[in-house]
Amino acid sequence: MSAALKPTPSIQLRVAIHATTPPRRMALSKILADAGYIVVDAQDAADLVLADGDCAQIEDTPTVVLGSVDRPVSGSLLPGADAHQIDAALRAVAAGLIVRSPAAKEAGFDQLDESDVQGLLTPRELEVLGAIMGGFTNKAIARHLDISLHTVKFHVESVFRKLCVRSRAEAVARALDSKHFRTIKL
Amino acid sequence: MSDPSDLLTRFSIALTKRVTAVKTAVVAIRLPAGRHLTGMLLRADVIVTSDQSLPKRDEFEVVMAGGSTVSAKVVGRDPGTNIAAVKLSQPVSSGSIIPGEAQVGALALAIGADANGGARARMGVVNAVEPEWYSSHGGRIDQRIVLDINLGQSEEGGPILDAAGGVLGMSTLGPRRQAIVIPTATIERVVPSLLRDGRIARGWLGATLRPVAVPEALGDAAGQSSGLMVMSLTDDGPAATAGIVAGDIILSVDGASTRRMRNITARLGADSIGRKVDLRFIRSGTVTSRQTTITERPSP
Repeated sequence: MSAALKPTPSIQLRVAIHATTPPRRMALSKILADAGYIVVDAQDAADLVLADGDCAQIEDTPTVVLGSVDRPVSGSLLPGADAHQIDAALRAVAAGLIVRSPAAKEAGFDQLDESDVQGLLTPRELEVLGAIMGGFTNKAIARHLDISLHTVKFHVESVFRKLCVRSRAEAVARALDSKHFRTIKL
Repeated sequence: MSDPSDLLTRFSIALTKRVTAVKTAVVAIRLPAGRHLTGMLLRADVIVTSDQSLPKRDEFEVVMAGGSTVSAKVVGRDPGTNIAAVKLSQPVSSGSIIPGEAQVGALALAIGADANGGARARMGVVNAVEPEWYSSHGGRIDQRIVLDINLGQSEEGGPILDAAGGVLGMSTLGPRRQAIVIPTATIERVVPSLLRDGRIARGWLGATLRPVAVPEALGDAAGQSSGLMVMSLTDDGPAATAGIVAGDIILSVDGASTRRMRNITARLGADSIGRKVDLRFIRSGTVTSRQTTITERPSP
């Protein structure tokens, strides 16, 4: 069998971090340490680089960037990528693959987004959806918003109908990727 | 070998002539990591390029057609129309730009620069021509021209020619790498302001807003089914000065409904600065209105 089919030996990869702030660096270090990487100083030899978009320097080392960057890199994730995504991206990049997050789509010069006014949520429905995303039960939402359980159920149904979903989990997934939390600066 | 009466040969010769005629006006702007971006010589010392792909720096090295290099300074940028104006430290000879006319199905040539002073060409047809439009950054663009050309990253910012050699505009990468054109008319309108002021002034309200549905009970009073809810305000901005607070749902600005963003964007052009406008909004279940004066949007 070819070498490519052998399971990857569990070697510890050395990762250099370029973060925007010291607390951010600490947070990323913790994620990497927990995932079994060795965090090295910027000037030390590293197998991989993990960098915030604003801090990405020109490197020969395979790099995973969190946020936007103005040149091609091996790995490109959203600034808020979670520990699991960062780990998966680093391992893939170390194996010579290219990683892209679908949400970090290639932007381009685009038209003004005319909000599709069909299916927009009311302010109250947005509050209820926010609470659903926070994992609150209907009872907890009623208490928190100081409205009756009956009214909460009414709003939840309306949110489900407008988002075309049937469960709270589906609603959360849809809300994370939707127009309802988009903001406009005027 | 080549038969000069052959149609395809003549067509091909005509294409190379078009490229030759314009290639002295195509330059490469050097970027970090050995990359470059294309620029278009508008006059002897001014080039325009794609603002979205030009790094936030003041000075660049520009490779002219033929390979000589000239240093250049960014003099103005307008994210709204994706136009950046860059001034060369020494003027070069330049031809004049003849505006072209976009027609659906007509032949279009996209000219880019290579890294060493040569040209690159791509051919396709004009895929769509639509009336004026507004970009997500609020700029007004005279015509929406879409090409069926697969533009290379480094070729963005170069001229798009019609079959007669007229310049349709500057190539720009749109969503999903679609090639669109910033029309010559827009470039000619925006560049003089960029050279004079370094930017395109726009009005603003100083508010971050979120599209929301108007609660059903208020639909009749509001006269519309959606509005923009205020999420946050800039201190001393026009909206804050008028007494708008977070949670208010703005229904109209200067009589233009917030149901359509382009109405609002059109109301906040350079001419709006200093104008007194009415803001109509919902607060605590009532429709009210306040007056404020539009100020100039601070530069980012």
